[in-house]
Amino acid sequence: MLTLFILLPLAGAVMVLMLPQARAHEAKVVALLFAGAAFAVSIVAFVLLDRGAVGYQFVDRFEWIRAADAGFSIHYVVGMDGLSAPLVLLLGLLGTVSVLVSWNIELRAKEYFAYLLVLEAAVAGVFLSLDLIQFFLFWELELVPMYMLISIWGSGRKEYSAMKFLLFTLGGSAFMLVGFLLMGFSAGTFEIAELTAKAPTDAVVPLALIFWAIMLAFLVKLPVFPFHTWLPDAHTDAPTAVSVMLAGVLLKMGGYGILRIALPILPQQAHDSRFILAVLAAVSVIYGAIITLQQTDLKRLVAYSSVSHMGYVLLGVSAMGALGLSGAALQMFTHGAITGLLFVAVGLVYDRTHTREISQMSGLMHNMPLIGSVMVIAGLASLGLPGMAGFVAELTTFLGAMPSQPAATIAAIFGVVLSAGYILWMVQRVFHGPPSPRWAGLTDAGTWWERTAMGSLVVVILAVGIYPALLTDTVQAGIEPIVRIMEALA
Amino acid sequence: MILPNIPEAAVWAIYFAPLVSFVAIVAWVRRTPIWSGRLTIAAIGISWLLALWALDTSIGLDGEPAQFAPHLWFSLFELDVHLGVRLDGLSAVMMFVVTSVALLVQIYSTGYMRGDGGYSRYFAYMSLFTMAMLGLVMSSSLLQLFVHWELVGLTSYLLVGFWFDRPSAAAAAKKAFIVTRFGDFAFLVAVVLIWTKTGTFDIAEINELAHGMSGAVLTGFTLGLLSGAAGKSAQFPLHFWLPDAMEGPTPVSSLIHSATMVAAGVYLLARFFPSIEAAPGGVSTTIAYVGGFTAIFAASMGVVMTDIKRVLAYSTISQLGYMVMAIGLGGYVAAVFHLFTHAFFKSLLFQGSGSVNHATHTFDMRKMGGLRGPMPITFWTFVIGALSLSGVIPLAGFWSKDEILLDAWGHNKFLFWVAVTTAGLTALYMFRAIFLTFFGEYRGGEAPEGAHGHAAAPHESPPSMWVPLVILSIPAVFFGLFAFADFGVLVEGAIAPSLRHFEGVHTESVVLVASLAAAFGGIGLAAAIYFAGRPQAEALRQRFGPIHTLIARKYYVDEIAEDGVIRYGLDRGLGRALAVFDGRLVDGIVNGVGLAARRVGDAVRRSQTGQVQAYTSLYFIGVVVVIAAIFVFGANVLER
Repeated sequence: MLTLFILLPLAGAVMVLMLPQARAHEAKVVALLFAGAAFAVSIVAFVLLDRGAVGYQFVDRFEWIRAADAGFSIHYVVGMDGLSAPLVLLLGLLGTVSVLVSWNIELRAKEYFAYLLVLEAAVAGVFLSLDLIQFFLFWELELVPMYMLISIWGSGRKEYSAMKFLLFTLGGSAFMLVGFLLMGFSAGTFEIAELTAKAPTDAVVPLALIFWAIMLAFLVKLPVFPFHTWLPDAHTDAPTAVSVMLAGVLLKMGGYGILRIALPILPQQAHDSRFILAVLAAVSVIYGAIITLQQTDLKRLVAYSSVSHMGYVLLGVSAMGALGLSGAALQMFTHGAITGLLFVAVGLVYDRTHTREISQMSGLMHNMPLIGSVMVIAGLASLGLPGMAGFVAELTTFLGAMPSQPAATIAAIFGVVLSAGYILWMVQRVFHGPPSPRWAGLTDAGTWWERTAMGSLVVVILAVGIYPALLTDTVQAGIEPIVRIMEALA
Repeated sequence: MILPNIPEAAVWAIYFAPLVSFVAIVAWVRRTPIWSGRLTIAAIGISWLLALWALDTSIGLDGEPAQFAPHLWFSLFELDVHLGVRLDGLSAVMMFVVTSVALLVQIYSTGYMRGDGGYSRYFAYMSLFTMAMLGLVMSSSLLQLFVHWELVGLTSYLLVGFWFDRPSAAAAAKKAFIVTRFGDFAFLVAVVLIWTKTGTFDIAEINELAHGMSGAVLTGFTLGLLSGAAGKSAQFPLHFWLPDAMEGPTPVSSLIHSATMVAAGVYLLARFFPSIEAAPGGVSTTIAYVGGFTAIFAASMGVVMTDIKRVLAYSTISQLGYMVMAIGLGGYVAAVFHLFTHAFFKSLLFQGSGSVNHATHTFDMRKMGGLRGPMPITFWTFVIGALSLSGVIPLAGFWSKDEILLDAWGHNKFLFWVAVTTAGLTALYMFRAIFLTFFGEYRGGEAPEGAHGHAAAPHESPPSMWVPLVILSIPAVFFGLFAFADFGVLVEGAIAPSLRHFEGVHTESVVLVASLAAAFGGIGLAAAIYFAGRPQAEALRQRFGPIHTLIARKYYVDEIAEDGVIRYGLDRGLGRALAVFDGRLVDGIVNGVGLAARRVGDAVRRSQTGQVQAYTSLYFIGVVVVIAAIFVFGANVLER
């Protein structure tokens, strides 16, 4: 079933490319069908997942590269547990939403939707892979469509931003590959389940070095200060759908990697580094928020807010206890939905105004009450308002991190004041105020695809915020094995 | 007492009724505005009836908590979050206050907001606010309280910024939210801290455990609560959002800036009174002085304001300071009692100012005057509210203020005189406002928005507006008498028996004389300045020029906070510095690495010239070096 989740978008990409040129305008319909089918699969998997069971479920496994005489073999293994299930669900949803918000794309539509679907398949591979080499391959595969999507369909300094994104990720993943190979060869396996069961005890280099090599790739992806500068550039110049995918699921690859690979396989090294991680987290939250306050470009503002909010994920990780790790896992899901929605709304505004300069806009609430209301809802969720998804994740993170990292936690809590500042400032400038004659002719979101894209995410954000039990039992099932490993240290 | 004990479901219904009307308005009714108003009134009416039932039950229980088991909201490892309702004397009184005032304000709003383009949106927000406020006062868990605390903040943001096309309203809404969030930051730290130390959010449990807790934890916790309360209840130095929040529609101020939201901070401190009592003494003293200072500080500003609504705003800050001070002095009952009476007469006064605005289209008292004739109902009800606020015997405000003064007299003589001075200032600014607004000649008002030429002659407001005024003047006069009807017993039922020390109504002659002297002195001074012209207002202003400027500019707190801290400190200072750091240094290194790679590549590329002569010469040099090495180091040099 999980293989299907990877293959459906890939098949969709092939189908899109096979469309005759005369019917290129149907590419979006095909893409929507396949992305929707993948979303359906992710819902089924999420619902059917047994929260009480231990280990990975729906596993597909076969030997891929056999090198028995060299002492290892590489497998194709996919499986899901409570850690990946919410992210897979989020990916299915945002994959569909990103097709919807691309409904107006005319330029080389076939290629565009093909790349978008390949991107979804690659990220799905990352979330589902249970073999390090396979994980790495999907991790790298994601770069190809991203580079193309930003550099061809982007705006502004799109080539620069695409290249920057590419080099940053490649730079990190080079270290990651070295780390994976060192671990794999010393343990004689690349399978995550086996590596987790018996942690590598020695390798040709100190294990701490391996830990940091792997972490570097994840921290760049998250991103964490000081490796974050690729993010605002990539976001700002990317088309809306790509921003949604980037903020919604691509950043989560970093957090997911930490929780899936770095912590369970090298728990001692992780434990030794937790203070550094907490400091990095707190700096990211506060520094990211202060820089966000300085932004004058609507999209850049949302992009920088991600730096701040992903700091909460790292803060939860640095606590290394049950609640902190759960908070991190929850925050990944909720930030994906919330920031995804923010980018959808920003994209719809940009489609109409053709500017992202906050100073140019005013009183847009008069022309677009629906988009404005959605932006307010997403913004309130982003600033951690109770009743919305983000609050539950942030609260859990704070509760988990307070005992072991009090100073970093208090600093991070102060981040909620700053986020109220930049969100409300943005809403005031862009949507409030008297109607501006310059924007008099603009219309609200009226089409079904715009409304569906926004509506689905609003529903998710409110549902999780009002009834967090929708997610918490899944997350608990996913975090429990990691907690047991971390507790065994003490 | 009269009715059987209220079941839990009915208590929950108090909370859900306004939520239902909110959802219904958003989903269906919004296209027919008239029904949005009616639905809201019906929903809050149901809540009010049920709140009466809850109050009746609580009186029957002497204010002791009714036993309702909480319900699991979600659980995650060791974190179990429950939602529950707590019905005791304190929450029963609060529910009664909130629903009563909310109901009257909704009726008033149907008149005040008539014809506004956002009529349905207004009532949707009002329903949501009422739900959030009710949730706040009936929560059995601290986290649940915090959730509603934030929702109250949200709805206040939406309501203050209701006319979002006015830049001043949009700015005021944002300011209110952010300033209170500064307070909420420490509040949230306190919530997180107390959970990590006790493993529970249950308010009653926390209050019980407080006695065994380390002083440092308890100090941190209670000061966090104080910070949250200071934000919501507009205590110094987080008070400066409230006057700006007057940009919202007046019925909004009548509900949230008099009786409900701003009272939430006092409620929070009262709710955790046992924890505050258990905390090291410095905490109570801090609370008392914050309250006392805020009371006199805000009252001084009330004296010089020219906007009637801002006079009331500063008055609210000042009265909330009274309540906070009472908590700090151990006067739990007195604080809650003053909250109770203040809710009604301040709501009345705000509605009165709205009625005046309805007639004159301005809040500037310099453009009013002489409204006593055309608006008799507004005039008389306003006078009743002002007398009650000023503490004139036997109106409601006298009794509650007297109890606070008694507590101050018993515990801290300095704060007692501060409070008495404040009482005098209160009477002064209220009657100054009355004389300027209702006496003398009408000074023209302002033309209504969109209309040309001069405003029509002022007239009394429609019944939907004056009926609530008349109804509210009843509690403003009589509710002080509840002091004789075991109000203290009811409210003290909410706290542990060992902390109860309310001895019923009594008074001391010093307190009585000082309080009444302050009230009549203030009224008399206002009358003397207005009618006799002695001392002359203008002369006073000139004589105290710098002081007057200082006060009229609100002690420059807005400038210090907005310009000093936010604009130059955070935005232009730290923010810009970090932005430069981020762009030049952090990203500069990134681009620098890229550039360096390119330079190195360029440099190395030069050697790849493709010229055979160059390659051959290099090859030849290499051979020579190798041979020389063999000669110098011996033949085995290459094998090592």
